[in-house]
This record gives sequence, structure tokens and C-alpha cells, in this order.
Amino acid sequence: MTATRTEIFSAGIVEAGLGTVTREIPAGEPPPWPPNAELTWIGKDVPRLNGRDKVTGATRYTVDVRLPGMLHARFLRCPLPSAELRKLDTAAATALDGARAVIALARPGDRLRYAGQPVAAVAALSPGVAAEALAAIDAEFRPLPFVVDMDEARAPDAPLVYDEASAPKGNPSGFPAAPGLPVVGNVRGPAVVRRGDPAQGFAAADIVVEGEYRTQVQTHSCLEPHAIVADWRADGLTVYMSTQFTSGVRQELAALFGLPLNRVRVVVDGMGGGFGSKSQLGVYGRTAVELSRLAGLPVRLALDRHEEQIDAGNRPGTFQRMRLGAKRDGTLTALAIESHGTAGVALGAGIGFFAERIYTCPNFETLQHDVFVNAGPGCAMRGPGNTPGAYGLEQAIDTLSERLGLDPLALRDRIDPSKARREERRIGAERIGWSRRHKPGADPGAVKRGMGVAQSLWMSNVQTNVACEVRVLRDGSVEALSSVQDIGTGIGTVMAQVVAEVLGLRPGDITVRIGDTEFPPGGPSYGSRTTASITPPLRTAATRVLAELGREAARMLNAAPEELEAREGRIRVKSDPGRSLAFRDAAALLRTDRISAVESRADDYPGFRRRMPDAAMAHEDLGGVQFAEVAVDTETGAIRVERVVAVHDCGRPINRLLLESQVQGGVLMGVSYALLERRVMDRRTGLMVNADLEHYKLAGVHDTPEIEVVILENLQGNSATDAYGIAEPANIATAPAIANAVYNAIGVRLTSLPMTPDVVLAALGKTGRS
Amino acid sequence: MYDFEYLKPKALAEAASILAGDGDAKALAGGMTFIPVLKQRLNKPSKVVDLAALGLSGIKVSGETVEIGAMTTHATVAASADVKRAIPALAKLAGNIGDEAVRHRGTIGGSLANNDPSACYPAAVLAMGATIVTNKRRIEADNYFQGMFATALEQGEVITSVVFPVPAKAAYMKFANPASRYAMVGVFVAKGPKGTRVAVTGAGQNGVFRHKAMEEALAKNWSADAVAGVKTPADGLNSDIHASAEYRAHLVGVMAKRAVAAAG
Repeated sequence: MTATRTEIFSAGIVEAGLGTVTREIPAGEPPPWPPNAELTWIGKDVPRLNGRDKVTGATRYTVDVRLPGMLHARFLRCPLPSAELRKLDTAAATALDGARAVIALARPGDRLRYAGQPVAAVAALSPGVAAEALAAIDAEFRPLPFVVDMDEARAPDAPLVYDEASAPKGNPSGFPAAPGLPVVGNVRGPAVVRRGDPAQGFAAADIVVEGEYRTQVQTHSCLEPHAIVADWRADGLTVYMSTQFTSGVRQELAALFGLPLNRVRVVVDGMGGGFGSKSQLGVYGRTAVELSRLAGLPVRLALDRHEEQIDAGNRPGTFQRMRLGAKRDGTLTALAIESHGTAGVALGAGIGFFAERIYTCPNFETLQHDVFVNAGPGCAMRGPGNTPGAYGLEQAIDTLSERLGLDPLALRDRIDPSKARREERRIGAERIGWSRRHKPGADPGAVKRGMGVAQSLWMSNVQTNVACEVRVLRDGSVEALSSVQDIGTGIGTVMAQVVAEVLGLRPGDITVRIGDTEFPPGGPSYGSRTTASITPPLRTAATRVLAELGREAARMLNAAPEELEAREGRIRVKSDPGRSLAFRDAAALLRTDRISAVESRADDYPGFRRRMPDAAMAHEDLGGVQFAEVAVDTETGAIRVERVVAVHDCGRPINRLLLESQVQGGVLMGVSYALLERRVMDRRTGLMVNADLEHYKLAGVHDTPEIEVVILENLQGNSATDAYGIAEPANIATAPAIANAVYNAIGVRLTSLPMTPDVVLAALGKTGRS
Repeated sequence: MYDFEYLKPKALAEAASILAGDGDAKALAGGMTFIPVLKQRLNKPSKVVDLAALGLSGIKVSGETVEIGAMTTHATVAASADVKRAIPALAKLAGNIGDEAVRHRGTIGGSLANNDPSACYPAAVLAMGATIVTNKRRIEADNYFQGMFATALEQGEVITSVVFPVPAKAAYMKFANPASRYAMVGVFVAKGPKGTRVAVTGAGQNGVFRHKAMEEALAKNWSADAVAGVKTPADGLNSDIHASAEYRAHLVGVMAKRAVAAAG
């Protein structure tokens, strides 16, 4: 048993009134922090410390890495949606002047299942020579029947993407899909979650709402492509990679190439987005390392935009059939959803756990199916499952509220047990001016305005395999180190704030070194878990290193170490602040050039709801409520999102400026999902029609609404920092909030994404469906 | 891009003679379409003849006409006080082509010689009954546009300017593609020396066309209501991933109505 002590923590939503909670915590943990108002740096608007580098172009991204002698790699990809590889002769490519390594990634006789599937790869002196070498590969493909449309793939006579033996098997963790489910034709599943008795629940309902919703395939469209520079040497492998998980990639590489962990190093500096698609090593990463190993030289492999669109992951499309039963007062009696989704040749096209967890409903059932089609593999993307899931359910709830004659907020007050979201609804309604909301379609004129609301839910994820180091050097300078990577959200600044708060310094005084597996393992930047995982051990490490410094200072100040505090750049006696030493002068007393503390992530104080090998889930889910105001041109069908109010919670907010920025990004991505983005597959050729960024349109400055962000301070006394993430909640509620606002504007419900002008006009009955 | 010979003649006659003498030689104006086409290896010219040094840019306004040199950029037309005064609809059209970068490189002559079915300028030229002036002759708008990417220009013929008769009323409305802002449907309406004319771009499979039914309705009664009542058949209209033919047909009516309202 580790020694523990008891502490009283502030707990509750600061905006709604605070209480306390008593926790038994490990003895080595730092004392509870008060609410943010009483802290110096935590919860404040600290600008990104690397902001200047980013805007001046000084930040080094993986695509900028150039090593001496570096080769350039490219893929030969399958040009057909379904084919048998008949022949693969790489002799001419290997013999080409300037080609240094050629590898086959498929063998004659292999079945290829999507257009863009890698078949071979080359590394050469320049990208041009690599392209020539690709052209010199003699590959023959025998076309096979294919299907790229999910509805067609469900038909009994559809061409099969897999047979039962070759179909992907799912994962013991259940993510992105559970193992052991039946495969019939191209359909795998269902994955079933059930509680209570749905049939009885529907029988007990006064009112039943039914709906069908469809969401499209969205590509991640990271502005920085998937990229790696692999440097295989006799004494070890160094990999520069645009990755969301340096230490995870290191583990994959060590296992794959039979190397000890201490011979593998993974480095990332700047990152231009990942959104879930850069979570693993991937075929491209593995290929670059193999080419480097063969060539004995560094190899750079960066996907081009076309490759990004067809083979770098995507958010699966879904079709959801929903039934919702309620009493006249709004109480839910039953909820049943059957979904079919497609992640192309991969698994993970469900609708998540949104419906399962968000509302109180005793009788519940989801049947989720994966449908295989001949298209590039999907993968996790910002709120996987829950984002399409919320699009369906939050519209069904809106419909139910109208049928009951209840305000959508009043209905949610009745059925949503989350205290955070209750407060978020109250604040959001006030900010958007909910009382101005009119009846559906009541706005006169050709351009009709409307207002809608939708809610968010995501897990409070924590990585437990996480550690940080804090060092104080004898000149008073400070370093914070971890292999954690900045995916673009500014975790380095957050780390500097935590260390500065503990040491009584300024964030700019802290040199943060991250994105390198030479440092203590930092955990992944996915699942909205980075801040939650890394800030507690960082605070603990900073506290420990300060204690060591305090022992030296205490002697000088003739005080006991526990009488000291670090504030405003000084170490001082709490009861007599005049007796003090500059932090720098205290550091000068150290016997060695540097002291250091490394700490690992402890469990959350009240324990976890679920503990997996390296990760866990805190008890309380993350909330979030978003309100949208739209203007719909009923003559052209164009929707303009004019305003979004996004009210969110993430435990204790560490940096409001960065959180707002992240929520704005989530909302913008949601606007893009709602109105613009759509992967279009040609049914006749099986190819993606819009595999670029011109015909695949992302929201830009023209499409950006006014976004107002409010972040609650939701204290729970769960860890040394009590902080959680926000990336995914920020994206989940946007599309359904817009859809509900469009309904409120025009009085007609749109049930498929994206809500493009022609879809709007067809719904209004002005043109046929295109 | 494939190898080619780059030439930048100083005299129109020299440029014309190179182009006339070699069927594989291509003229380069602003290059907003041509350069991407070269980069994607969709074209393999023997020579690229840059028209930038021929002195073909500039704007001349007389009482009845606005003459715009072929190499005048969209940004210049958009910013021209003379054009804004004489044909404000034309300045506005130029100011909404593509994006800032395109408007500072793209030219009116290049746009008309290319005759992209979604380009904006062809609608203005056809609706106002402008005249295309070349090194050889003057071509009336009605005879110039010959289908998608096809024009009356012959080998070795170079547009030098475009002459617009100043209309009494004119306006252009487009429904822009959300990404590159080209016209998914654009309608130019004009009432002037060449009559009451309506030209539609972006919609037709054969490029810009005159909307005769709307012209007749407007000739009788110049009002938004008059065109609102005119149905546009979807036959012969473009259908692609951005919009069906039927949706485009609907937009023609909406854009025409809004253009007439804007023209006053």
C-alpha cells in the first residue's frame, strides 16, 4: 500500500457555485490547487510560446527535414478499385540510374481492394528519379468486380470486398471495432449494446419519433501531409515523423524491425494537423524505414494531396435508422438505433457511444454494422463515431421536442443528467439570444434565419503511461521534457504554464522540450487526452524539483523547507515574504549543474471508470453545448452559418486562449462537415472523383461564422491539475446544431450531410433531388 | 510539363506569325488556365508565345464604348474608375473572378480566347453584344463563341481588345463554386444599343448562351418578375458533382431575377 493523505478539494462548476470534495490521495502528490482565479498562470490567456515561430515560418515541420544524402521515396499504387496483381517486375526500376531501393508491397496473385492501395515503393536520388523508377515497374492488374457505394454493397448480389476468412478481425479493445462479429456478404456485425427492454419501452411511450439520417465520408485533409524521414543506421534508427504519438510509433517500430526500444528514436517538431489520421506508423511509415534499411541512407516519404485524399484515412459515412419513444412530459422510455457505416476496406464505421450515454433512457438498443466497400481505409477522426452519431440523435431530439410542444432546451433539462451541460445550455441560450428564436419557417422573405442547438459528449480519456521531467539548472534556467508532441494545440505552452505556476516563474522562463522519444514518454495526442495525461505528472515533477531547491534555499534563509513558497521569481518565507532569495540565486546554491525530477502519471484520485493497459477513462464524461444561427437562401438553397456559440467544459481549463482556439477549429471543421465536405466516389470507375482540395471543398474564411467560445471551470478534485481535453467535444455538436437551425429557418428537416444548396432546394420541393 | 520553347516577341506581327506558322505553338496570356494545363501535361506545345510584351493592355472609354486591351488584368478592370463609371456591372464582374492572385494575373483576352464554359467574361461580352478585335478583323460576340472552349479565332489570330457598347442597364449575378469561385451559374442581363439581351454562363454544356425566352420577356417588361416567370429547361445544361442540370436550370432563373433587380 502506498501511503496516502486526505485533502479537501474545491469541486463543482465555478460559474454555478462551488462546493468541496474530500479525497484520499497518494502522499507524494502536491496539495490541491484553488480555483483558477487564485492562481497566477493556470486558466489564463497565455499566448502560444511558439506562435512567433509558426507565423514567421521558423517552425520545422517533418516535410522540412533534410538530412545529408537523403533519398526520396514514392509509392506505386493500385489504379483499380478491385484487382488481382498479375505481374510485378521491379528489375528495370532497380537498375535505373539513381534508384537506390525498390520494394514490393504485394505479390502476384494478391487481391488488391481499393484504388490507391500501395503495391510497390522506390527510393531514389530525387523525386523525379523516383517517379521515373515507378514508371519503370512492370505491373499488371486484372480488374475484378467492385463496389464503392455502401447501399449497393449491402445488396445480396454485391461483389464481395472480402471473404469471411480475409475480413479484418476487429480489436480486443473494441476500438475501432469489436472482434468476433459475423460477416455476411459485405456486412459485418451487428455490434449490439442493449439495456432494459426496448419493446416494452416503446409500448409504454405516448409518442414515438422515427428518423433516418445519413452522413458522408469526410477526409482528414491535414494541411501537412503524412510525412516521414527515416534514418536507419548501424547504431540505431531515427525517425522524423509527423505523428500524434511519438512513443507509440517507437513501440511499433521496435516490434516490427526487431530492435530494442533504446535503439529507436522518434522525433517530431511542428505538426500541421492529424485529427486521428497520424496516430500510428502506417504503411507509409513502415515502407520508408524499410527503404532506408535497404539503401543505407535516410529516406523521405511525404504523401501528395491526391494520396492524402485516397489513402490517408477518412471519417466513415453512416446511415442511421432511429426510433425514440417518450412520455408526454419528455421522459424517454426507449431509444433504438440501427446503423450501417462504411470505413472502406477497414472497420470502425459505427456511431459511437453518444446515444448510449447522453440521455437518461432505461430501454436502449443499438445495432451497429460495418459495410465493406472498395475504398481507402477509414480511421479515427475527431470524435469518431460520436460525430455522425450526434448528427442523427440530436436531430431526433429536436423533432421530439417539437412534437411534444417543448422547447428543445427544456426537453434536455428533463432528460440530460449532466450538470455541466445544464449550465452550458443556460449560458449558451443567454449568449445567442435563444428567446429570439421563432417558430420553424416563420421568418418571412426569401432568406430565412433560424437558430438551433445540439449537444456533445466525449470520454474524459487519460493516458497512464506518461511521464515528465523537470530540470533546474544552476543558472536558474528551467527545462520541462516529455516525448509528447504538439499536434498544433499548444501543449508546450500549457506545460510551461504548469511549471511556471509551481516554480513562481513566468511561462516564457521555461524551455519546453517535447516531440522526442529521448525524453520521458508523453502519451498520444488523440482522444482529447494530452492535457489530462501530462499536466498532473508535470506538476508533481516540478513540485519535487522545487522541494530539492527549497532545501538549499531554506539553509540560506534560516527557515524550514516547508515554510517556503515560490512566487514572482523568488523563493520566500510564507509568513515573512521580505525574507527571500531570487530563484536564480537559489539555483546558484545547487551542488551540481542540474537537478531533475521525473514523475509518472498517477491514477485519478477517485480512480477510473475503466482502466485499460496504458489508458483509462475518468468518471465524468466531457460535455459541451453548441448553438448555431443560420441564414438560408430559399431561392438558391445556400446556407450561411452566421454565428456559433460554443459552451464547453474540460475540467480545469489551463489556457483559455488555446482552448478557445481549439474550439474554434472544432466548430470550423463542423461547419465544413455540415455544409461542404464530401468524398465523391464514381460508381462506374470506382475512383474518387474529387481527390484534391478544389473539388473537395474545406471551409475557408468565406464560410467562417462568428464563433463565440465559453469554457466552464468544472473542478472535480481528480488529479494534481484536474484538467481534461477538448478537441473532440468541440467538433461533435456543430453539424447537428446547424441542421437544427436550418430546420428552424425553413421548417423542413434535412437528414443527410453535407447540406449543400441543391439538397436544400430539393428538400424545399423546388427541384428534384440531384 | 513537357519541354517547349519559350518566346516573348515585342511585336504583334511577330507573335502572330510564329503562331500562324506552327500549329503546335500556343499563346500565353495570363496563364491562369494554360500553366496548370502545362503542368499536368495535358498539352504539349512546341512553342509558348508570351503576349505580355505586345502593349496590349489598357482601357479606353469614349462616350459610347469601353475598349479593353486583351492583356488587361481582371484587377485592373475591377479597379478602373472609368469602367466603374461607364459599365459598373463589368467592373464588378471582374472584381469577383477567382481570387486575388487570379485577378492580378488573368486577362480578359485570355479568358475569351480560352472560352471556359464557367468563365464570367463571356457572359458580359455576349449580353452586351461586344466586339472582339483581333489582329485580323472584328468579330461580333454572336459569332465569336462556338461551344465549350471553342471560338471563331483562327490559327495565328490574336485578340487585341474587346469593345463594349455602353448599355443603359446591366448587371451580372453569379452563383459561385464554393472553392474556386467560378460561375456554377452566371447570368448577365443588359439593355443597350444591341438590344435587351441575357447571357448565361456556367450552365450550358456548350458554354455561354443567350436566353431568348428571357430576352423576349424583358423586352416587353424590364422587371425581375418578368424573368421570374420564365422556365429554363434543364436539357443541355451541365451536371456534375457540384450541381445537377435541374438545379442549374433553377439557378438560371434566380440569378436572372436578381440581376434584373440589381440593374434597376
